[in-house]
Order: sequence, then C-alpha cells, then structure tokens
Amino acid sequence: MRLYDPTSSGPERTLFRAPVLTGLDGKTIGILENGKLNAVEMLREVGALFEARHGCVVRPVYSKSNASAPAPAGVLAQAVGEVDFLITGLGD
Amino acid sequence: MPFDSQRIHEVPDDLLAAIDYCYEQGWTDGLPVIPPVVDRVDATLAFEGRPPVAVIATHPATGLQLTVHAAAVNAVMAGCLPEYFPVLVAAFEAMDKPDFNFHGSTASTGGSAPLLIVSGPVADDIGMNADVNLFGPGNRANATIGRAVRLILRNVFQMIPGISDKSTQGNPGKYSFCIAERARGNPWPLLCETQDYPPGVSSVTVFAAGGFCNVENHGGNTPEQILGSVADAMANYGCITLGQSVVILSPEHMRIVDGAGWSRADAQSFLFTQAKRSVDGMKSVGKYRDSEYDHQHQAAAHALAEPGFVHRGLSPDDILIAMGGGDAGGHSCFIPSWSRGRGSIMQHKPIGVCIDCEQ
Repeated sequence: MRLYDPTSSGPERTLFRAPVLTGLDGKTIGILENGKLNAVEMLREVGALFEARHGCVVRPVYSKSNASAPAPAGVLAQAVGEVDFLITGLGD
Repeated sequence: MPFDSQRIHEVPDDLLAAIDYCYEQGWTDGLPVIPPVVDRVDATLAFEGRPPVAVIATHPATGLQLTVHAAAVNAVMAGCLPEYFPVLVAAFEAMDKPDFNFHGSTASTGGSAPLLIVSGPVADDIGMNADVNLFGPGNRANATIGRAVRLILRNVFQMIPGISDKSTQGNPGKYSFCIAERARGNPWPLLCETQDYPPGVSSVTVFAAGGFCNVENHGGNTPEQILGSVADAMANYGCITLGQSVVILSPEHMRIVDGAGWSRADAQSFLFTQAKRSVDGMKSVGKYRDSEYDHQHQAAAHALAEPGFVHRGLSPDDILIAMGGGDAGGHSCFIPSWSRGRGSIMQHKPIGVCIDCEQ
C-alpha cells in the first residue's frame, strides 16, 4: 500500500528556524512586547535578568499591535540588524 | 529545500495496519483516519483545476504552505468524498486572508475552532446537512470537511496540541465545525446572496469560533422575546468582548422573527443594541478596559453604541445571522468569536469558481 505523506509543505517556503546561539554572554537583546496587559513590565524584568547574569545589552523595546499575529516585517527587519536575539511571548 | 509533495510511504497491504501506521506517524486527530492511498488522493485532485503544487494558504509565522496536493491528502484522511474538495479549498483560501489571522486563532490559549458555514446550492449538491442535528454527528460532508480543516492545521501547518496549539481547554469544534445554511423555508436572503456573488454561486464563510452556546426559548412569541434571549447569551460576562458573533436561528425562532416583518438588518440592530453590559458591571468582574470602551465609543462609533455600556462587537454588522436546524424546537445558538477585539475577522470565499482571483 502506498500512502502520500500529509505533512508536506509547498515549494516556496522561505522561513526557517534561526541557528542556535553558541552563547549568551555579551549579546545584544531585543524585547518584542505584544500589547498584552503587563507585557512590557514582565519582559523588561526578563531582560534585566539577562543583563545581570550574562552581561547582555538590552535594546529599546519593539512593539506589535496584535498580540496574536506575527510581528510586522519591518519590525523584524529592524531587529535583525540591531540584536543577537529577541525575547517575546506573553499569554494571559 | 526540494518540494516533497510526492513523498510516499510504502506500508504493508493491510488496512488496519495502515491505520495504525498513520497513528504512529502522528497524523491523526485522535480518531482513526482513512489511509491516504494514491488513487484516492488523485481522485480528489480531479476536483481542483489548479496543479497540485499550487499554494492555497501560507502560515505567516512559519512560512509553511498548503498546496492543493497536501489539502487533498488530508481530505482523504478525514473521510471526504472527492466532490467535497472545492469547499475545503475555498475555506482555506478564506482563512488565508490576513485579517482572519489563522495563526493566532489556532495557536492561542483561547481554544478556537474554525467554523465553516456553507451557503448556496453546493450544500445540497454534495449532501450537506442544514437541518436536524445541524451541529451534531451523522452527515459525512459536514463531519469530514470540518475534520479535514483540523487535519491540515495539524499536519501541514504543524499546529500541534501542547506545542504550537496552546489551547487552555480547547473546544469540541476542533474535531469538526462545519454546517450548511438552511435554504429550505428560509425567508431571508442566503449568506452567499448577501456576499454579492453572482447568482448560483455558493460560498463558505469562516469564523474563528469559541464554544457553542445553546439559546433555548420555547415561551417567547415575539422577536423581542426570542432575540432578547439571544442577546442575553451574547452579553454574558464570560463571552462579552468587542469581537464578532455568529447566531444560527432555528426555523421555529425564525418564523417568529420574520413573521413580525423583521429583516436580518433589523435583527442585527436589535441584538447589537441589547447585547451589552454596563461599565460598572464590567468592572465588577474585572473585564473593563478603558482602551476597549474608547474604541467602541470613539467619534466614529456606531450610533447604537450607548454611553456607559460595553456592547458585544463594534456594530450590528459584526453579527452574522443565518438559519439552520430542524423544524421542531425553540433552540437557536450563539457562537462567540475567539478574538476579543479585531484579532480575527470572519471571511468568505466562493466555492469552485474563480472570481477576481490572481491565478
């Protein structure tokens, strides 16, 4: 019996996972807040932990207006040029 | 990356073993699937005019793409007959519109399920149920088209429960949530007619839905009484937000509403006006937000938005009303949006035809 694989994606996929960082020390962090209640406050606290523990540098906060939609391409493009990694994500 | 739509799994010629193989691969929704054998997939592809590699929808966060071919494979697994395929394709074309935001609604803790409402002659052509037990089991087209949506979200877009699907409690509609609008005895224009498609063209409307809420009213005999009970369901503290709504009126309730001369627009306006909570009430349950109130009561707000109250939705047009269900029983339903605001807006597409499309 021959079965087609149901998990195939299309031929033009352009988005893939970024390579894993080799270390955190001295890296530049971006914070992407998603507009949810207390998101900025919590993410700043997380950023402060990276500063204290790994000597990271925290960039000004990036924002997106819709918590459940991907960040606008322009925001991500800006972050790519400015930071080594990005912290985001806050549920309810 | 090479295109792998033709990837084949060779398995022993044993149907039950093939079903178990699909389980082992993580391809199911928990229920057994039809093994996607090549000839069944090819028969399904015959109902789509575009080539198998054509892309129907793209996941905005991961870039994963749904091809015609992958849609057909998952349709077979769900149990769809080939003639159902155009409905499934149109549903994903609608879900692919950015304002539907299928990434957010399928990943969210909110536990949303895409509700499909099929309107027009195709519903009868393929034997869909718009009648008794509308949301329940028993009809192959309703059950399997809705199920195919879930299998595609899982298998192609990798919305895996607990990993990329973070629903807190989920929703039974996540197995299947697909109905037809009832045309028989319907006094109002069908949805497909109000969506400005040419005569005879059917449509599918997609809605990122929360759970189903039955609205029982066997005692009311005026539109105000029937729709008043619907509005109360829409305004319950657990559901009220600025999001959109779907209301499916039973034929018994529709006879009362239409019998008094009310149009769909009349009913929408009444529901918007009545489905509200006071600011103090919203504060009492901790759900009041200045920004949301301001959004609803800004200078350009709808004239029916009453100061001092939070209404469900932003305007009467945020409430889709259609008829469905069996002749007997005072049971309508309200289905809330997953979105608490404008995070997902319902969309529609024509079925089996290309109107102003690019390819």
